[in-house]
Amino acid sequence: MEIVVAIVQALLLVAAAPLMSGIARKIRAKMHSRQGASVFQDYYDLAKLWKRTEVRAGTAGLVTRIMPPLFLATFVVIAAGLPLITRACPVPLLGDVITVLYLMALPRFVFSLASIDSGASYTSIGGIRELIVGVLVEPALMLVLVVMALACGSTNVGTMATSVATFTATPPVAVVVAGVAFAIACYMEMGKVPFDMAEAEQEIQEGPLAELSGPSLAMLKLGMSVKQAVVAGLFIALFLPVGAAASMAPLDLIVGFVALIVKMLVVFLVVSVIENAVIRVRYKYLGRYTWFAVGIAALSFVFLIIGI
Amino acid sequence: MLELLYASLGLSVAGAVLALVAGRSPRAAKAVACVFGMLAALASFGSGAIALTSPAALVTFVGPMPFTNFTLLLNPLAGLLMCVISVLAFVAWLYGLSYFDEYLDRGMGSIGFFMNLFIASMMLVILSDNAFWFLVFFELMSLTSYMLVIVEQNEKSFKGGFLYLVMAHIGFLMIAISFFLMATATGSLEFESFREAAFEPGLATAAFFLAFFGFGAKAGIVPFHSWLPQAHPAAPSNVSALMSGGMIKIGIFGICKVCFDLLGAAGGQVSWGIVVVIIGAVSSVLGVAYALREHDLKSLLAYHSVENIGIILLGVGTGIVGWASGNVWLAGIGLMAGLYHLVNHAMFKGLLFLGAGSVLHATGTRNMEILGGLARVMPVTAVCFLMGSLAISAIPPLNGFVSEWFTYQGLIGAAMTDDILLRVVFAFAVVALAITGALAVTCFVKAFGVTFLGEARSDAARNAHEVPLPMKASMVLLTVICVALGLGAAWFTPLFSDIASSVLAAPAAPAATGAVLVSLDTASAVSPLLIFVLLACVFAVCLLMRNAANAKAGVVRDEDPWACGYAPDTHMEALASTVGAHVGSNLTPLYTLRSGVNGAGNAVANFVQHAVAPEDAAADAAKGAQDGATRPLSDSVLSVVHSLGTWFSRLESGDFRTYIVYIVVALVFFLALIILVR
Repeated sequence: MEIVVAIVQALLLVAAAPLMSGIARKIRAKMHSRQGASVFQDYYDLAKLWKRTEVRAGTAGLVTRIMPPLFLATFVVIAAGLPLITRACPVPLLGDVITVLYLMALPRFVFSLASIDSGASYTSIGGIRELIVGVLVEPALMLVLVVMALACGSTNVGTMATSVATFTATPPVAVVVAGVAFAIACYMEMGKVPFDMAEAEQEIQEGPLAELSGPSLAMLKLGMSVKQAVVAGLFIALFLPVGAAASMAPLDLIVGFVALIVKMLVVFLVVSVIENAVIRVRYKYLGRYTWFAVGIAALSFVFLIIGI
Repeated sequence: MLELLYASLGLSVAGAVLALVAGRSPRAAKAVACVFGMLAALASFGSGAIALTSPAALVTFVGPMPFTNFTLLLNPLAGLLMCVISVLAFVAWLYGLSYFDEYLDRGMGSIGFFMNLFIASMMLVILSDNAFWFLVFFELMSLTSYMLVIVEQNEKSFKGGFLYLVMAHIGFLMIAISFFLMATATGSLEFESFREAAFEPGLATAAFFLAFFGFGAKAGIVPFHSWLPQAHPAAPSNVSALMSGGMIKIGIFGICKVCFDLLGAAGGQVSWGIVVVIIGAVSSVLGVAYALREHDLKSLLAYHSVENIGIILLGVGTGIVGWASGNVWLAGIGLMAGLYHLVNHAMFKGLLFLGAGSVLHATGTRNMEILGGLARVMPVTAVCFLMGSLAISAIPPLNGFVSEWFTYQGLIGAAMTDDILLRVVFAFAVVALAITGALAVTCFVKAFGVTFLGEARSDAARNAHEVPLPMKASMVLLTVICVALGLGAAWFTPLFSDIASSVLAAPAAPAATGAVLVSLDTASAVSPLLIFVLLACVFAVCLLMRNAANAKAGVVRDEDPWACGYAPDTHMEALASTVGAHVGSNLTPLYTLRSGVNGAGNAVANFVQHAVAPEDAAADAAKGAQDGATRPLSDSVLSVVHSLGTWFSRLESGDFRTYIVYIVVALVFFLALIILVR
């Protein structure tokens, strides 16, 4: 049963990820008082790209070829292990927070490597920025996870989710503050405005993707949408375990499934509104904002130590 | 197992002597040194591997004087270090079969001599169980490796070598004082008597910290790290692999031996562990941050050794805290993580140094800025270097991830106590390790991407060629070991647990069941093998789907990248300095710290240089004067013009009285002229 849950939630994230970006696009249009494209536009785009001839740069080698499938595959594997529908991890061996964070480094590694592989300067700069965002966000993410591990007594996401859901994670204020810090860090990790650093210049629009085309571009675009869904999913799993199935009973699972869809929609709705209400931050000032997230994470750690 | 050990030492010494004898024919010297070295490495690996699971063997050889009695102890920890150094020595010699061809005219006989003795002295340091002989072999190890650092005989290698020699002796001095403190208290130089003595806490703490900083100087902890990026790159690449992968681990071995073994009866203190963890955290972050600013491939790798020594110390420090506070699980998992990372680092750092050596061999340069595009001409080297980069960046499911996972579990487990100080220190260490991990990913994307990918940026890179078979074979061997230590982690972990438990003299905490790695106190588990299988399956599905779509619609190969419509140029590519500048602008404080830290090391070396060799300093001054005498012509013309200008500028001083004098002089001159003409 656990295996089925794992496969279902991984497939759900892959299938629904383009819808999330479609909804974000729609909300943006509405906020601009425009009609906007259909929420299914991203599916049409992917289908169109999928049928196109692929053009590859002469310099691009093995790394560029394997990057899009590896990028998507890694996030699918991570998605299968998170406690999204259930409170416990469907595959506990994939549910360790350190494993999740370090698995997320693999796509980042090949993504940036492929951007250098293309030999084009704009893509390379985009790839490097992606790495720097990772460096700056990592401390906040990890500090929050330490707080959660100490509050819940385990580094397993499923155990953390269960103790948050049953209100046994102590001290409570520290957990709430940690949730705030984690939300900010996840927002940065999702690469939404104002933190879409990889594509922050006019010429570097969709920077690292510039040298990809056809099915590879489609697969990577899908992969990036799945990444956003997985990062949102990590936040949902840890801090919003409302409605997640406490047992493997079919009814619980159905409720958990529906709850997951609702939570995802809510998270993406909030993210889209924020994204469209702010302007892009200059790349060189990114560090100031990440220190803010680290600061809140440190605050939650202080609360943990003094026990409130 | 002792027979194999003696055979190994005998072969090393025989290889050393024969290489020196055959020195007149460099090819013969190379062949003799490499073959004997490989045989010695095989024998010592066998001996070490048996020792891993056997009870400790203690042998005493009586010398002519009481203090020269040589005691030899081969226990599981020593066996582990022997295995690590043997593997590295084997691949270094195998690699040398081709790589040393470039060194044939630089005294191959003495290279073979010193390298064989270097390996033998490392083995003997590990095995000595007597303070006198330990120090003798430690010194021999420093001297022989110094000789290998200065093989190139240029100014850079002498400078790096001298700094190394000074740092090694500062470390030596501290270790010697530590041993003599213990020897004075027990009245014997035998480690056996240290082991049984219950030193008073003050003495034990002094001995521990002296030994920690002494061995730390050898291991390259911050602030004693400045010699690594100067000395390691100067040596031949396979020697760098041996030094960076093997020799600095002797420092870790020494710290473990003094703390858990020699001071075992005295008992440790939690504060020792805290200091070790803090220094480990600082070393790991600063090591990788400084690596990011390097353009020289081998200096970059040397800085990464500082980082990884830091990570190993995080594990060892956790072990010390657990051991001192009587937490068996924490002590076990911390020390086990440290030892596991020690082995892993030796393997992937050895691999990366050999890869850097192959790049140097193929292109003649280590400067990443003028390389690029090597993956197409050197595919085997590129794949091996990529695997090494993934492993050192702790990407699952490779070996670096496994040991860092255990390190994280140990750190988080240690933070679960009620002690506020421990909580803060270990949370800080976890965050430091996370930053280190993210920076390491950045650094190795840079190292691999800028060197091997993109377009070649110089003729050297364009005309590169794949390296000969022995060099490829040694890199592939280390790659296979890295993958095996990652995927087969569940089968290696019990081995490391047992070694840790033998060091701690405590029952081993279970850390692996079946194919799964477990961490009891943090209630978590992971299986690298499962991750690999899942990733491989999903990846294969995605790849096949993409390729099917490609097959249907076709793939066009365009010579140049699109580059947003600009005409692409190799000058537009991302360079090592591009990455460095991006990181530097975000982490400025770390780099301002650097000049101070590095400057201190160089200042010490300069001071010692003046103290021990004033004639050298005088020679330097004379050299400067001579430089002045042999200035090129253009410079002397310049200096004449300059002095003339200075002289003329005095004419026009800006003082009005001078101008009146000029007018008067001119008036007198013209009056005189009129009178004379008339």
